[in-house]
Amino acid sequence: MKIIGLIVAVLTGALLIYGTVDFPGWADPASPASTHLSPHFIEKTMEETSVPNIVTAVLADYRSYDTMFETTVIFSGGVACFILLRIFRRKEPSDRLYRHVLTGATIRVKEGGKIPLDSDDFERIDTLWTPHDLIIKTVCRLLIPFIQLFGLYVIAHGHHSPGGGFQGGVILGASIMLLAISQDLRTAVQRMREKVDALLSPTGVFIYAGTGALCLLLGLNFMDYSALASVLYVDPVTARSHGILIVEIGVGIAVMATIIWIYNNLSSAGKYDEGL
Amino acid sequence: MDIIVCLLLFAGLFFFTGGAVGILRFPDFYSRLHPAGKLDTLGLLLALIGLALFNLHHFSLGTLLTSLKIILIAVFVFLASPTATHAIVDAGVRAGLAPWTKGEKRR
Repeated sequence: MKIIGLIVAVLTGALLIYGTVDFPGWADPASPASTHLSPHFIEKTMEETSVPNIVTAVLADYRSYDTMFETTVIFSGGVACFILLRIFRRKEPSDRLYRHVLTGATIRVKEGGKIPLDSDDFERIDTLWTPHDLIIKTVCRLLIPFIQLFGLYVIAHGHHSPGGGFQGGVILGASIMLLAISQDLRTAVQRMREKVDALLSPTGVFIYAGTGALCLLLGLNFMDYSALASVLYVDPVTARSHGILIVEIGVGIAVMATIIWIYNNLSSAGKYDEGL
Repeated sequence: MDIIVCLLLFAGLFFFTGGAVGILRFPDFYSRLHPAGKLDTLGLLLALIGLALFNLHHFSLGTLLTSLKIILIAVFVFLASPTATHAIVDAGVRAGLAPWTKGEKRR
């Protein structure tokens, strides 16, 4: 079986390499991409979409199919991680550790044992618990809102500066991960529950594909955002710019949720009780 | 104005170079983090202030905003970089790595 797999892989690789023979040479000025596509994007992007950042316009407008399926790939990555790693264990781990906040004494509770869970004197801690470092905790608490603000800024300014949905989504996801690292996984999961992750991730993809489908319903091609002009009450050129923004928001939501989802599954080995 | 910008950039570069040399030449983990944490932060701060000043050459609201953003980067690096170094040292101590003492071999 392994040999068959090897033969298939080698054959596919050989075919792909054989296919590259027909490619135009590197940086060939006479290639179709350099003679038709690039000049068009460079000259017409501003007047067709009113977006100063050509990369964003190409990514989210001219080649929006590509980006839509990239978002889908990210979503499938999250789902694959979930299916492979998540362990649904009804029963709690046999031993749980609690720490008395005021004195710092640690209590190990055997299976079936009870502890006054409702009282604020005790907090649950990980098996590999390390004492909270005041400096790290405080600085992280200070920085996380700014990181999230910056993530939103990057998403919203994809038109004008480097950035966009993917980058902004990663920054937003990283802020929650920082919370999980500086405190513990349970704190982060309380802020972003697993259900929220699992719902937001496809919601982002849906926003993207739904914007495209809305264009289809309004009478133009799939992903031709100028169709949104009548809905948004702007001229078709500005509508393309706004369409890109809507799509970027969808990408941002999908990437953020997926990244947090993957992190939670990986760091707790699918159990969601104790993180790194 | 250009002279001040050049001075700041070269000072930043000087500290960066010091940090790089320190990382290569100090004997162990903890002492290597010392130049990495301190000199890089200071070098970046100086270089960013130089860039922010350079950006104000043509003074307008737009360039002022960009300079403010550059200063903001400096502020956040100033907060985050020493904390990161602190966290790494903390992890080293917890993992049981003994600090280097005089007379030992370099690690």
